[in-house]
Amino acid sequence: MPSILARFRNLRHADAWIYGTMLFSACLSLLASFVLSIDAVRLAANPNVSLSCNLNAVVSCGTVAQSWQAQLFGFPNAFLGLIAEPVVITIAVASLAGVRFPRGFMFAAQVVYTLGVIFAYWLLYQAMVNIGALCPWCLLVTVSTTLVFATLTHVNIRDDNLYLPRPAQQAAARFIDADLDVIVMTIWLLVLALVIVTRYGTALFG
Amino acid sequence: MGKKAGEESRQLRKGRAAVAAQGGRAARWPVIAGVVIIVGLVVTIVFTVVRSATTDTTAHPAASGPVMPPSGAAAGAMLLGQADAPVKLEVYADYMCPYCGRFERANGAEIAGLVGDGTARLHLYPLAFLDDMSNGTRYSTRAANAAATVYDRAPDKLLPFNNLLYEHQPAEQSSGLSDNQIADLARQAGVPPPVVDAFDNATFEPWVAQSTQAAFAAGLEGTPTVKINGQVFEGDLYTVGPLTQAISAAAK
Repeated sequence: MPSILARFRNLRHADAWIYGTMLFSACLSLLASFVLSIDAVRLAANPNVSLSCNLNAVVSCGTVAQSWQAQLFGFPNAFLGLIAEPVVITIAVASLAGVRFPRGFMFAAQVVYTLGVIFAYWLLYQAMVNIGALCPWCLLVTVSTTLVFATLTHVNIRDDNLYLPRPAQQAAARFIDADLDVIVMTIWLLVLALVIVTRYGTALFG
Repeated sequence: MGKKAGEESRQLRKGRAAVAAQGGRAARWPVIAGVVIIVGLVVTIVFTVVRSATTDTTAHPAASGPVMPPSGAAAGAMLLGQADAPVKLEVYADYMCPYCGRFERANGAEIAGLVGDGTARLHLYPLAFLDDMSNGTRYSTRAANAAATVYDRAPDKLLPFNNLLYEHQPAEQSSGLSDNQIADLARQAGVPPPVVDAFDNATFEPWVAQSTQAAFAAGLEGTPTVKINGQVFEGDLYTVGPLTQAISAAAK
């Protein structure tokens, strides 16, 4: 039993697992961003359809895509995913192949991706509280962005890339080595699932 | 590569050594607490899913039966206002359509005024093409049937009821308002109780289905669509003013 557990933990901290998870999650996020971008472009091409419920509207009348929050920077938010996720995919693939990026590079990636996660959760909050509509692809972006963030943070703490003060770095390394990050991430994703189920439960399962 | 890998395992060893130095016991408490929280969350999620799956699952089978229009209706529309009013105002809407809600919030009171003072005769088409957006409860059809029932037996309450339905419009992909909630809104609008009770008969669902089909077959593209004397109104439907001005102009 302990040996299985130990092997499991070795696997978890290994490059193959971390970057593999990162690659998978970034691909999901890119796919969702791509679908949302196509929708946004189509919507922009048809201004007549955009403020009405069309006979062909299968899933929704596009109220989420119509909101001002969907174009916070003047262009569809999904474009940000198209820009950022290929970088993450490149990092993951290169790292799986044995490349090691400089400390400053990984630190910059962490900073930018953290901003991205904050933005993703702000959008989730807006969609749930102020817009009130369900957007399945947006949910996929939220979940996959969270996973990428978790793997990136994991690897950056493991490799000491975050320029943390020594005591903080040691505390973070201990935290990860005690597998507390797995517990935190599990709780995080379950809270997300609980919020979604509570808000959309009847729509999803009713 | 070799050097880097060595660096990694050095980091790892450092971390493990630190844990070992603590005697391991201190590190175990957060794990136990975390696992307890995880179990609690999983149980709550399962509970929530089961509860939302078992509540509000009243069956909503599609109505089949003879097409019976509400009395006073013509060509799929519910007519309101004086027959000799100078302007024919046609409104195509679905109670699930969020833009129809925005349209009603902007223009509902204005339209009621224009119908009331004899300027316009309203042809309201209660369509039901967004049934798929209410998660199998066919909210569009149920709401349209309720509106048609009110029009059939208490026509003067139709506009207040229509207004309340949009004021409490459910979100897309929700289960819509329940039959009880629709009945509550009707009572709020002053619809007599026997009429409210008749909602459950679903008398006008076949008529709603037929007039929805007819409207789209005749070239309707989406909702809300507004026509003034047969001409599609191309102006701004979502702010107060433009529609009222166009109707007043058409009345002269």
